[in-house]
Amino acid sequence: MATVIGQRQPTMAEALRAARGSSYEGIWSWLTTVDHKRIGVLYGASAFFFFLLGGIEALLIRVQLIVPNSGIIDADAYNRLFTMHGTTMIFLVVMPMSSAFFNLLIPLQIGARDVAFPRLHAFSYWVFLAGGIFLNISFFTGNIFQGELGAPGAGWFGYQTLASKQFSPDHGVDFWLFGLQILGVASLASGFNFIVTVLNMRAPGMTLFRMPLFAWMTLVTSFLLIFAMPVIAVALFELMFDRLFDANFFNPVAGGNPLLWQHMFWLFGHPEVYILILPAMGIVSEVLPTFARKPLFGYPFVVFSGIAIGFMSWGVWVHHMYTTGLGTVANAAFGISTIMIGVPTGVKIFNWLGTLWGGSISLKTPLLFAVGFVAMFTIGGLSGVTHSMVPSDYQQQDTYYVVAHFHYVLFGGAIFGLFSGIYYWFPKFSDKLLGEGLGQLHFWLMFIGFNLTFFPMHISGLLGMPRRIYTYSGDQGWDLWNLMSSIGAFVIATSILVFIINVIVSLRSARRAGPDPWDGRTLEWAIPSPPPPHNFDEIPHVHARDDFWHQKYTEDEKGQPVPVVAGGAVEEDQHAGDGHGIHMPSPSFFPLIAAIGFPIMATGMIYDYALVPVGVAVLFTGIYGWAFEPATEEAE
Amino acid sequence: MKITKPTARSAGRIFATLLLLGLIALLFSACGTDTPQNTFATKGDVAHDQRTIFLLAMWPAIGVMIFVEVGIVLILLRFRRRRADEVPKQVHGNTRLEVIWTVIPAIALIILAVPMLSILFDVGRSPKADAFTINVTGLQWQWLFEYPDVKDANGKPITLAGDPGTAPSGHANAPLVHLPAGREIKVVLKAQDVIHSFAIPRIAGTRDAIPGHEEVFWIEIDEPGTLHGQCREFCGFGHAGMTMTVQADNDTDFQAWVREKQQPKGTAGTRSGSPAPSASP
Repeated sequence: MATVIGQRQPTMAEALRAARGSSYEGIWSWLTTVDHKRIGVLYGASAFFFFLLGGIEALLIRVQLIVPNSGIIDADAYNRLFTMHGTTMIFLVVMPMSSAFFNLLIPLQIGARDVAFPRLHAFSYWVFLAGGIFLNISFFTGNIFQGELGAPGAGWFGYQTLASKQFSPDHGVDFWLFGLQILGVASLASGFNFIVTVLNMRAPGMTLFRMPLFAWMTLVTSFLLIFAMPVIAVALFELMFDRLFDANFFNPVAGGNPLLWQHMFWLFGHPEVYILILPAMGIVSEVLPTFARKPLFGYPFVVFSGIAIGFMSWGVWVHHMYTTGLGTVANAAFGISTIMIGVPTGVKIFNWLGTLWGGSISLKTPLLFAVGFVAMFTIGGLSGVTHSMVPSDYQQQDTYYVVAHFHYVLFGGAIFGLFSGIYYWFPKFSDKLLGEGLGQLHFWLMFIGFNLTFFPMHISGLLGMPRRIYTYSGDQGWDLWNLMSSIGAFVIATSILVFIINVIVSLRSARRAGPDPWDGRTLEWAIPSPPPPHNFDEIPHVHARDDFWHQKYTEDEKGQPVPVVAGGAVEEDQHAGDGHGIHMPSPSFFPLIAAIGFPIMATGMIYDYALVPVGVAVLFTGIYGWAFEPATEEAE
Repeated sequence: MKITKPTARSAGRIFATLLLLGLIALLFSACGTDTPQNTFATKGDVAHDQRTIFLLAMWPAIGVMIFVEVGIVLILLRFRRRRADEVPKQVHGNTRLEVIWTVIPAIALIILAVPMLSILFDVGRSPKADAFTINVTGLQWQWLFEYPDVKDANGKPITLAGDPGTAPSGHANAPLVHLPAGREIKVVLKAQDVIHSFAIPRIAGTRDAIPGHEEVFWIEIDEPGTLHGQCREFCGFGHAGMTMTVQADNDTDFQAWVREKQQPKGTAGTRSGSPAPSASP
């Protein structure tokens, strides 16, 4: 069935282009693409768009809290804004942005031409986009011209019984639960795809312990995804039955239990935290060695601490629930497990410092963001240790101290790590370096703005300020800290503007980055920028960890690295692959069609059941066409 | 060149140190103040214990933070790339170091867990039999208080309720809750509709009020005074206004208040101590 394209004349690249027609040009090519790099770009661009939305929501929150007793935004709108801010940043920004990096990099880093299931991959992107748009459409279901937003307003955590039909009667929570359900489908598809890709598609010689750390973290994250998403899916289905069909899973009046929701939500929610942070840890573990020109310190320890975190993340969920009255013994057990998860996290931090120690550190923007990650994540981790002190957590539970803690982990951690990755790999996929001057400005503005926003929250929290209050009185001693936080938020917003300008300016610049602008260590830097659709003309044979580094450098008698004389091993990989057939999957619009089925079904569930079969029909049309479509185009 | 480099480096160090010291000074300037819900300005045994255990974790945490942050700055300054073609020795790791920085934090954290557990079990113990009992119920959006052992003229327990308030300074709407100082109080916490969380931070950290569940715990207030609290768990539209004010009395004053409450007044108990809502600034 597959066609051997490489036998065409004269060169393979031209042959590919001829065979695939205009499949690399125009909007149609993007809608039907199954190329992991393009899907990665789509993921990244969509996630960045949602990042701007979530950021605007955050700014509105901070505008409202800038002074006590402010009435700019009313309680109802405020509740919907913070619900959407949390939901957006977690499910529509950090997760898909991490996924963008998985998509872009995993095949390149393990020496593969594509992911295991390219069309499943396109499917997971389109489902994600459908879910994200569906979730945000909820804003317009209220009477928006009278300033009434329709978005969910029961918190990103949807606690029962507040999120029940009785206490949240409008459709906001319905959009929320179906939106998350749709996004879960995307995450599951993508999780399975990357597990199979990493386990089965590695180039010859690329043993698991020669894989770049980012590939390892992708593997761990993917396993967490496929085990965590079903948990929330079950919880969301139960919520659906409660809200739509008058079931009583969480209704205490009818013998249900609102705490059941919390257990399921956090049993998903805590692994989710590591789903958000492990990819960024992987990115940092790539950036630090490159910019220090040293291998990652203690590679096996960093790998195993990542795996350990993956396992332990399943045994700490009750630390979100210390104050719910589960009993002292349960709290003690989970307090100890929470304390212990700090150990593998600490191991990673020390290993990153060990990587920098003795290196030759180039203070470029990717490194600044990576170091910013280590510095800020450390603070977030340490405030996490104070949370594991169960009795003292009773004081901080649901205060701004917690808000400070998880923003240090998820913004100072994940977002800084993701920006590090954007600056680092941008030249690989665009052949343009992001401007260094604007990059440094972006970093410092964001670093200062971040600390100005979130450090004072430790203090307002310790002064007893609860989360999720739309306003506060002036006699509580919280005004100064909130003023600082609000100013900081605008500094962060400025830094994002600088970033956008930087991207536009850099893309328009004529200067090319070349295949290896940073003196990289891993396989993706061995191929041209941007990589050709088939990635590798010839599948590389891997001989060592940091294989590309070893192609460029060897060691003299004293163990000092010296550059390999030109014409050495590097050349070998640049042989044109003539005579070798390259099997490339054909573009397909069926994943897109299948994905469109989901929001139709969800809309039907909320407004009119007659739409549900329509959505199911669309989904099955997509899957049917997909199943019977040849994987690669027929030869002409 | 030889003069500028060390000054730049020490300037960086000084800047980093000042920044850290500044942040820590900021933390402490705040924690010393006497604001209404300050978790450091504690007025009761539970809150004292909770502050103790927080500080026990916070000081080492600040130590580690300074170590790591200063370490990062020093490493970046010391090992920054000076020549473009500079290639350092390729060090892959050090097992002894790995064992050290795995085992030492693990031991330190386990040591930290010992006082944590002892305080946890003390805070979590059952209230004493002779404790003064108060029933608290959270509902959208106010707190109801019931004194099961203090009966009014009709033999019914005294209850306090406020106007459901959504104003930011909801104190005006909330009842003034009198509690005895200097003796153990047993709180029986319930919720009527959605989850709320009962926090008077200067007396004790928060406890969730969950519909269908009854949470029983003890608190203690050291001395007479006024204390403030508010709902900590997001409970919908009026969450921000769900505040409460507690007046802790010595024995004489508390008995006097009880006697006043026991006067047959018709509306006794329901709206007492709540002046007309004042306009918030």
